[in-house]
Amino acid sequence: MSKLQEALAGGKFPIVVEIKPPKGIDPEAMLAPVKSLNGRVTAFSIPDNEHAKMRLSPVAAAQLVKAAGAEPMIHLTCRDRNRLALESELLGAAALGVENVLIVSGDFVNQGDHPDAKPVYDADSVQLLQIAKGMMAGHDSAGNELKGAPRFYLGAVAIPEADPLGPQLLKVKKKTAAGVDFLITAPVYDLTKLQEFRQKLGAGAAIIATVKVPKAAEVEQALQGKLRKVYTLPASVAQELKADDPAEIEKKGAALAARLLKEIKAKNLADGVYLKARGKGELMAAILEQAGI
Amino acid sequence: MIIAERKPFAEIKAALEPYEKILIVGCGTCVAVCLAGGEKEVGLLASQIKLARGQNGKPVKVGEITVERQCDREFMQPLSDAVADYEIVLSTACGAGVQFLAAMPEMKPVIPALNTTFIGVNEEAGFYTERCRACHNCYLGTTGGICPVTMCPKGLLNGPCGGNLKGKCEVNPDNDCAWCAIYERLDRQGRLDLIDPILPLHPHARTTTPGAIIHPAYKRRYGGHE
Repeated sequence: MSKLQEALAGGKFPIVVEIKPPKGIDPEAMLAPVKSLNGRVTAFSIPDNEHAKMRLSPVAAAQLVKAAGAEPMIHLTCRDRNRLALESELLGAAALGVENVLIVSGDFVNQGDHPDAKPVYDADSVQLLQIAKGMMAGHDSAGNELKGAPRFYLGAVAIPEADPLGPQLLKVKKKTAAGVDFLITAPVYDLTKLQEFRQKLGAGAAIIATVKVPKAAEVEQALQGKLRKVYTLPASVAQELKADDPAEIEKKGAALAARLLKEIKAKNLADGVYLKARGKGELMAAILEQAGI
Repeated sequence: MIIAERKPFAEIKAALEPYEKILIVGCGTCVAVCLAGGEKEVGLLASQIKLARGQNGKPVKVGEITVERQCDREFMQPLSDAVADYEIVLSTACGAGVQFLAAMPEMKPVIPALNTTFIGVNEEAGFYTERCRACHNCYLGTTGGICPVTMCPKGLLNGPCGGNLKGKCEVNPDNDCAWCAIYERLDRQGRLDLIDPILPLHPHARTTTPGAIIHPAYKRRYGGHE
């Protein structure tokens, strides 16, 4: 059983932090937060060609995280692989002892740095959850028997502020039916939105709320009412974060993240937190410290 | 219908560079409707080629002929005689028509004048949009008449991705999110239960190219099995 699963099952309010695989082969910067924060957080989450920008493979990164003595969570995107490759990647992860897998559709290729790449989506996130569950039961998606069944702890994404909400609730319902263990939300800044969403979901998978240090550009866009994201950064919050120096915005953003983290935990708004701080260990450490974790 | 658009003239001009006797063969069906390769477009292209050659001082003979359909042998017979006096054939048909033309006995080399784009509809004059990916497994009966394979760029079968914003698509915000549209229409029709079940993986084996279909009534003629 993964530490994440244990922590969620035991109501321990796990913290998962996102690290950034390199666009290259030097993992030092990616591993810096692993070295500095291991023991203080439950798992280190590794995106899979995040925003459709090519980076080092999550399974390889997960092995590096494990070698550093920490627990990884890999993301697995439907965008880049057909069912054979997805399943083979899952077996590879399992063989390395990686259990936490966050299954995502994946941003479209036109959002990233290989816009002419072929988008795959042979399986969607619901189907991939079913595939992974089937593998845990000892067979691949074609029904062939596996020699040794892998063990996974499976996550998917949920968007609390989706507009319209109905289609998003449909998707989450299907992810739940497919057997998802935990849902990681899109970033939330207005915690009443998180609360409302959770009420709509009812009982089911564990909810891990994403707390994100907003980028300076996002703050600026929010102030101008031009932030085009699946989450909102309320103008009042953006106003608080406003500063001329991007470093100052980051500092204020860290304080905001700490406040959100603390409140989510104190008010039991989620079962754990997913922290996005651009993969910067020092920033994450400051947030955890300010949040009293 | 099949929608196509003409290749940039510079590309066509470069491909024709070695030749002096060019026959342009138009197609009178889909590509005529989408104003890319019908009789009128053949005429315009012929004029453009002659003008360009005239400017360069290079001689050219350009013939024009448009058949009803280049994807149907029934209409292609006259072309066998027509090509005799030419070195090269420039087809303004879709990719299917170009290939059928090129495979004719005694045919001269054929080059395409169009890029074939999609199966779509005529929204308004000169405005065409895609509707079908010819996936061999139509889902429209359960998705409110909106195709998730085509209208969702990711072809997701079980609901929207997380990227839609106010019902608009992550990939192109000018487009509606297909799954938001499916949900909205089925909700309006009181048929949301149709999209409750998880759809299984798409049977891509059916789309292995090149596809072939024999109508059941003709199975005996073409040696197929019932």
